[in-house]
Amino acid sequence: MTETFGGLTQEVVSGIALGCIYALIALGFTLIYKATEVVNFAQGELMMVGAYVNFFFVSALLEVPLLNGAWAFIIALVGAVAFAVLFGAFLDLIINRPLKDEPVFSVIMATISLAIILRAVMAVIAGPMTRIPPSPFGSSVITFGGVAVSTLDMFIILSAVVLVVVFYLFFNRTKWGIAMKATAEDPMAAHLVGIPVKKVYRNVWIFSMVVATIGGVLLAPRTLLDTHMGFLGLKAFPAAVLGGFGSIPGAIVGGVIMGVIETVSMGTLSFHFPWVKEINDVIVWIVLIAVLMIRPTGILGQEEVDRV
Amino acid sequence: MKSRYADENLSWIAPLVLLVIAIPFLIRGVTFSYKYYLYVLNIAGIYTILAVGLDILSGYTGLISLGHAGFLAIGAYTSAVLVDQAGVPFGLSLIITPIITGLFGLVVGFPALRISGMYLGLTTMGFGFIARRLIIALRAWTEGSAGLEVSNPVLFGFEFANDWTNYFLIFTFVVAVIVVARRVMNSKIGRAFMAIRDSERAAEAAGVNLTRYKLLAFFMSAVLAGLAGVLFAHTMRFISTDHFDILLSIYFIIMILVGGAGSIYGAVLGSVFIVLLDFLLIPAFKDWMALFVAIEVADIQSLIFGLIMFLFIIFQPMGLYGVWLKIRIYWKLFPFNPRKRFT
Repeated sequence: MTETFGGLTQEVVSGIALGCIYALIALGFTLIYKATEVVNFAQGELMMVGAYVNFFFVSALLEVPLLNGAWAFIIALVGAVAFAVLFGAFLDLIINRPLKDEPVFSVIMATISLAIILRAVMAVIAGPMTRIPPSPFGSSVITFGGVAVSTLDMFIILSAVVLVVVFYLFFNRTKWGIAMKATAEDPMAAHLVGIPVKKVYRNVWIFSMVVATIGGVLLAPRTLLDTHMGFLGLKAFPAAVLGGFGSIPGAIVGGVIMGVIETVSMGTLSFHFPWVKEINDVIVWIVLIAVLMIRPTGILGQEEVDRV
Repeated sequence: MKSRYADENLSWIAPLVLLVIAIPFLIRGVTFSYKYYLYVLNIAGIYTILAVGLDILSGYTGLISLGHAGFLAIGAYTSAVLVDQAGVPFGLSLIITPIITGLFGLVVGFPALRISGMYLGLTTMGFGFIARRLIIALRAWTEGSAGLEVSNPVLFGFEFANDWTNYFLIFTFVVAVIVVARRVMNSKIGRAFMAIRDSERAAEAAGVNLTRYKLLAFFMSAVLAGLAGVLFAHTMRFISTDHFDILLSIYFIIMILVGGAGSIYGAVLGSVFIVLLDFLLIPAFKDWMALFVAIEVADIQSLIFGLIMFLFIIFQPMGLYGVWLKIRIYWKLFPFNPRKRFT
């Protein structure tokens, strides 16, 4: 009995780490959705691009003599974030501006085609093989009373929590955050009261790309780095919807619940009920459909009321 | 009194049917590798049937489906199991399987009564994943992810054994589906669908029963996907769950967007265009690309499709059919500048 229980705790902990990765991705599209009402299906691919850029920097910097490991990782992260800033601004230019006020259907398809293009371009640049990115923390493990957590997972959880708190405060406490919320509500009215709408759009794409990069950098050593990494982004959608789409705390709540459900169903549940094995990789979608049927706005989402 | 379809020009249908019949003979006259081209045309025909169905759902009714490969897979596997394992004749399976797939359509359409837009896209995407997983799980009948060999179609004692005969089987259905779909979309049902797309509230206020018509759209779309699935299984003769993935669903959407969402001819144009591009142009293009960069075929394919869709959405949201409409209006009004009427 204690044996099963220990296994379950371990699963819950690694589920929380997995969920925090979902939360990081979900945070990325929640940001964009909050300010522009565009749903970005390419968020997983943005994460992949960020991870690759960071990987290229790290492999180049580790070659440099006179530079010890830790500095190489820090400089590479700074480089990747700088790239993310430029790339985010570029995406705003090619995706957001031409598609403002187009129907939802077109916008969804445009971001999906962006995802396809990014994946193909990255495959051309990086080649088809799977890379093994070095982890900045090695493979060190911290143990709390029988439950082992890798240092990397600790960092993933920590950065997800920090980013969620930072963006929550940003959107509710600062002038810029409130300006972004106003822009999402009604861009025209926001423009009239003097909010620089174009800048708001650009910044929010930049934020989202930076969050995606951080997520990618932390995730790459955990999974391996290849061009299909972006498919994980699709699994973050159910997580975001479960938490309530467009709600920042919802991203982490939904992400953690989904992550725990997934790992527990893969571990203990599959062990005790063999049929669960069959639905492991679609369990997030089953939960998603159930949530949408019962409470379409998710756990922390707000009911949207719109006038005719 | 004018009859309902009096203002539609139907005189071109007979030449078109003749052309469809003549094409295989023309191809056989021109090239020795005609079998490959017929195979490509067969795929185009099957996908056309599905794209028309998807267009009814997404283009006319405005309900996004990112899981249509799931319906195709259900149709294909249902028919394979019915014909090869339950001994149902192919002709009967052509009727039963689309109805079964249609029932799945009703099940998926049920959530659509409450949710719309992006949420519906996610639900249908989830359906695509779940359908695939379900087929693998029923491995007693479907052999799981190993794939399933399927028998040739046999109709009234005649066996359609090669691409040449399959062509006529498939394109009979293609023409029938196009004609019926256009008739239905010009009727009360089609107008109700378009009303729902343009404004659900206005449609409801005008007396359109939202529940009934949304479910009907899902049902019709799934029936056509099921029909495409039956033809796919029996003419390709080998089906595997790997084929029916999320990318296939996205290609179907690309087809209707490139063709022009919200018109049957658009769906036809789009699917033929994309399939020809996929099977004829990209292999030719690949060798040329390989001179410059090391790249895999699948990547070129997705790169080109992604770019095409992206450019169409931004620069030509009406699709190929929209281009044709513009050209036609330009000719009709020739000395006058029609640009002032398009903004």
